[in-house]
Amino acid sequence: MTTSESRRTFLKASAAAATASAAGIPLAGGQANAQIGIPDISWDKAPCRFCGTGCTVLVGTKNGRVVATQGDPKAEVNRGLNCVKGYFLSKIMYGEDRLTQPMLRMRDGKYAKDGEFEPISWDDAFDIMAEKWKETLKNKGPEGVGMFGSGQWTVWEGYAASKLMKAGFRSNNIDPNARHCMASAVVGFMRTFGIDEPMGCYDDLEAADTFVLWGSNMAEMHPILWSRLTDTRLTKEGSEVHVLSTFEHRSFELADNGMVFNPQTDLAILNYIANHIIQTGAVNEEFLSKHVNITKTDTDIGFGLRDDNPLQEAAANPNSGKLTEISFDEYAESVKPYTLEYTAELSGVPAEKLEHLAKQYADPNRKVMSLWTMGFNQHTRGSWVNSLMYNVHLLTGKISEPGNSPFSLTGQPSACGTAREVGTFAHRLPADYVVTNPEHRAKAEKIWKVPAGTIPEKVGFHAVQQNRMLNDGVLNAYWVQCTNNMQAAPNMNQEGWPGYRNPDNFITVSDPYPTVTAMSADLILPTAMWVEKEGCYGNAERRTQMWRQQVHAPGDAKSDLWQLMEFSKRFTVEEAWGEDFVATAPEMAGKTLYEVLYNNGNVDKFPLSEIQPGHPNDDANHFGFYVQKGLFEEYAEFGRGHGHDLAPFERYHEERGLRWPVVDGKETLWRYREGSDPYVEAGSEVQFYGFPDKKAKIIFAPYEAPPEMPDEEYDLWFCTGRVLEHWHSGSMTRRVPELHRSFPLAVIYMHPEDAAARDLRHGQEIKVSTRRGEVTSRVSTKGRNKVPKGLIFMPWFDEGQLTNKLTLDATCPLSKQTDFKKCACKVERV
Amino acid sequence: MADSPEKRGWIGRVWNAIWTPAVAFSSGFLLLAGFLAGILFWGGFHWTLELTNTEEFCTSCHSMETNLGEYRETIHYNNHSGVRAICSDCHVPHEWNHKIQAKIMAVKDVYHELVGTISTTEKYEEHRLSMASAVWKKMKASDSRECRNCHNFDYMDFTIQEARAASEHQRAIDNNMTCIDCHQGIAHNLPPGYLERYQEVTETLAGTPQNSVQGQLADNGAEIRSYLTTQAE
Amino acid sequence: MNKIVATAAALLIALGSIAIAQELRDLRGTPPDAPSVVNMSLQWEGREGRMVRNYRQQPPLIPHSITQYQIDLRTNQCLSCHDWTKAGERNAPTLSMTHYLDRDGTELDHIAGTRYFCNQCHVPQADTEPLVTNLFQPSSTD
Repeated sequence: MTTSESRRTFLKASAAAATASAAGIPLAGGQANAQIGIPDISWDKAPCRFCGTGCTVLVGTKNGRVVATQGDPKAEVNRGLNCVKGYFLSKIMYGEDRLTQPMLRMRDGKYAKDGEFEPISWDDAFDIMAEKWKETLKNKGPEGVGMFGSGQWTVWEGYAASKLMKAGFRSNNIDPNARHCMASAVVGFMRTFGIDEPMGCYDDLEAADTFVLWGSNMAEMHPILWSRLTDTRLTKEGSEVHVLSTFEHRSFELADNGMVFNPQTDLAILNYIANHIIQTGAVNEEFLSKHVNITKTDTDIGFGLRDDNPLQEAAANPNSGKLTEISFDEYAESVKPYTLEYTAELSGVPAEKLEHLAKQYADPNRKVMSLWTMGFNQHTRGSWVNSLMYNVHLLTGKISEPGNSPFSLTGQPSACGTAREVGTFAHRLPADYVVTNPEHRAKAEKIWKVPAGTIPEKVGFHAVQQNRMLNDGVLNAYWVQCTNNMQAAPNMNQEGWPGYRNPDNFITVSDPYPTVTAMSADLILPTAMWVEKEGCYGNAERRTQMWRQQVHAPGDAKSDLWQLMEFSKRFTVEEAWGEDFVATAPEMAGKTLYEVLYNNGNVDKFPLSEIQPGHPNDDANHFGFYVQKGLFEEYAEFGRGHGHDLAPFERYHEERGLRWPVVDGKETLWRYREGSDPYVEAGSEVQFYGFPDKKAKIIFAPYEAPPEMPDEEYDLWFCTGRVLEHWHSGSMTRRVPELHRSFPLAVIYMHPEDAAARDLRHGQEIKVSTRRGEVTSRVSTKGRNKVPKGLIFMPWFDEGQLTNKLTLDATCPLSKQTDFKKCACKVERV
Repeated sequence: MADSPEKRGWIGRVWNAIWTPAVAFSSGFLLLAGFLAGILFWGGFHWTLELTNTEEFCTSCHSMETNLGEYRETIHYNNHSGVRAICSDCHVPHEWNHKIQAKIMAVKDVYHELVGTISTTEKYEEHRLSMASAVWKKMKASDSRECRNCHNFDYMDFTIQEARAASEHQRAIDNNMTCIDCHQGIAHNLPPGYLERYQEVTETLAGTPQNSVQGQLADNGAEIRSYLTTQAE
Repeated sequence: MNKIVATAAALLIALGSIAIAQELRDLRGTPPDAPSVVNMSLQWEGREGRMVRNYRQQPPLIPHSITQYQIDLRTNQCLSCHDWTKAGERNAPTLSMTHYLDRDGTELDHIAGTRYFCNQCHVPQADTEPLVTNLFQPSSTD
């Protein structure tokens, strides 16, 4: 009997007993009567497929199909609770239009860019794909190939992809959709602490006195964390919730102090709080002198637009992230102009509300947890604003202890685990290593057992740049996995769509469903999803969690991992690296990329006999070894011993996840704090060990205006975001009828007076346009979002409306993350 | 005509003119003129009164901004047929005597706007429950008279209502309930503890008969005093 | 009827696994570069009557309109009918008893803070067809 079967029997017995006792029926031990029947669903844990909260669910399977899901009572994150999306996970794999075979654009039996999609075999699919990639490598070199991945990849998929691109094709042109979502948070962490990801954890949600939401609508986007926060607010005497946003949303329902500010003025508000702390003598001077360096950043750095954009040309220090050390007095002087009066005027938030907020941070007796998501990260000054947030916590020493916690939330289930920790970015390697550092490259080459010099030094194209380079015909062979980037990336009309449809390019998209991105491709690869494969995700509190395969994928659908590894078999090192480079490593000659990257003695180290009996593992069985374990253990080598330690593989299958660093079998709840973090030396209390001097940085940055603001013609702010019932582009949630019926189409939220001024009525069809395109939608003057005059809000989940035809591809110049929250638009009647 | 007009002041002259039988004008004309003047006066009075009944007037005060925002979210502001209930439809009775009474009572609203009793969000929230319960009390006492200007059990088509609503309305008819018994907070947000307070309101009313106009007036007077004392503190 | 649907569904899955031509259509219906089609109204709360759950653990869907109900720091109007203290009198389903357990499993007499915002799990339904058929099969159909 397998573990899962014995577990099933146990659950069966306990469920029967519970039901019987609830009904008041005496039940003889071991006896089941006809009413109760024989439970025949087998349950096993898996992290939720959706957001970065990382709830654990129990997946019920029967006869090879998922028949139910429920919150896992044993999971520390959610203790048995799910949001509405999580409760309907059981249906996400069963949309009738699941892709079950590769589809190629063809005419007269041959590939044609303008052909119609026709089914082909996997062999034929990889033949044409490899032909195009080889052609590009020959003509353009490694810079001509690229991959766009995902914070929804499993850890080993991201790792295998990164290896394939960086060591296999010797190209750093790999970037994840997490660039749209997390990049500014990462740059904030790296610049302030020298090491990525939050120091605190979700336990802060029970420990804090004051919660401050900065550009985060947790009520809809992180419902389970919100439920924990709500519980604290409603049960803990004196606790307070402060919410800041550019419009009023559901999180305001719990707000003691709700503040709607003018877009971009969060920069000023944070400097005002720092000023308030300094002016009222609330600086924790001991903490500051022991643990913090003070710097300022270069200003007037542009907007991450194309280099020939006039706004970009006008910038004094385009893309500069240079830091200059300053004294405390200089810092105090820099924040001094941000007085209460000035900030209230600039931000539009009443002075008493701002002051009440500032006092929360200044009061040494209140534990403050700051939470933020896309409002901060999708910001042309996103890297700045992340650091400004840390400034406030560092000034008061309110950090790295229960309840005192600046906390960056994530949007994707493995934005942290895969995109960030594995480093599937154009500049990164696993465990915070970067391609520009020769030592880091050497270490990676050693672990990967590839010749020295294999990994290129040059940073690859980031997400937005990839679409621009496709458009310009620089990037020609392109593979998108596990994401719907045609719908998600900014400025679709001017960059994304012309890029994909550029006749010079061959675009492959791997997806379970025919998304807009898939339909924009030349080759579509049908993909296994979620519990159709063994997986590993890492959530926002550094918690790494694994799941086993529960069911088989439909038809010929294969996991992203299978696809990556199978594709690598199509290339010899000579074809991928070029004869010249192979000559420097003759021992590799004649080998395929598959042999070099995955048959390397690490990845294929663990035999099939180690697979958990009673669970399918299609990927491992196909390759003949425990591929997931091999990849994980090789990957874990990067982080062990330098602050990113992961536990042994098997442990994660037993636990409801563990928060890294996991040292001596113990997870870490609060980093940088002695007694909690094993990396902090005894007697030092706090050590920000991401930097050699073990100090964090205060980074001053001023308020600077955004690139595009409402004017006479385009007279409204355009802000985009999400809704509770749908996840991201809706490719999964819109195929669940119950979720579809709960929010069937995207609407534009508008102030009733703005609507009246345009002769619009609630529910009417409207046209929204920006300098980049137009979209028709319906106007909503009431409902869950109450926007101020002069701003409209549009969720982007609805592929019928393609919100990103309107957005501007301006990014934070440091993080290269798009500002999806601010551009100028106009609204008219259709 | 004993005194010449010159000798008397203008008041006296007007006085005289009023009470001297008309010579130049026919009685018919005077009757008509009086009638017209009456209409003009009455019309003007009503016109002014009605002005104070408009949505624009009601929401023009600073104190009412919160109300407006909340009201805009509701079915009474915006709905399928555009038939609406504005502030006065619910808060100003249609019947003359009740209307005048309500208008006189409204003086206290002007007073509170001037002194800023509910001028901030915090102050508004602080008074929300007492303001709401004052209205509930009136509505409960009048058997939701203003609701019933539009909503009448006799003319409800239960087949068009949500099944749940239809069965609840039947229960309300059977148990002799009134609209406000269930529909608190239809146009305004509700404060914490509203159900308990509503319970108190109904219990108080059940204890003290409120049928006579005097009773209501006395009650309203007490209300004014209570508001003024709150402010005096 | 359910049996027929289930059989048809099973058949479709079986067919899907053999290589037959699949007609590709996204949820959009028009090419990505074509103008958007907005063919649905904002009438989102049409479906009535208790809806059968797909599985026991599924949160029940809301068979009535909730737009006028307030849930915030001040009050939760859902509870004025569905709380155990009111449900009988208001003829409404009582909250599941799980809603009276706090995060540590302690029994409460009032709703747990973690469950306060009902609409995180419970949603009303528009009276509209699914965008694509979902072939999910509940465990209880056979």
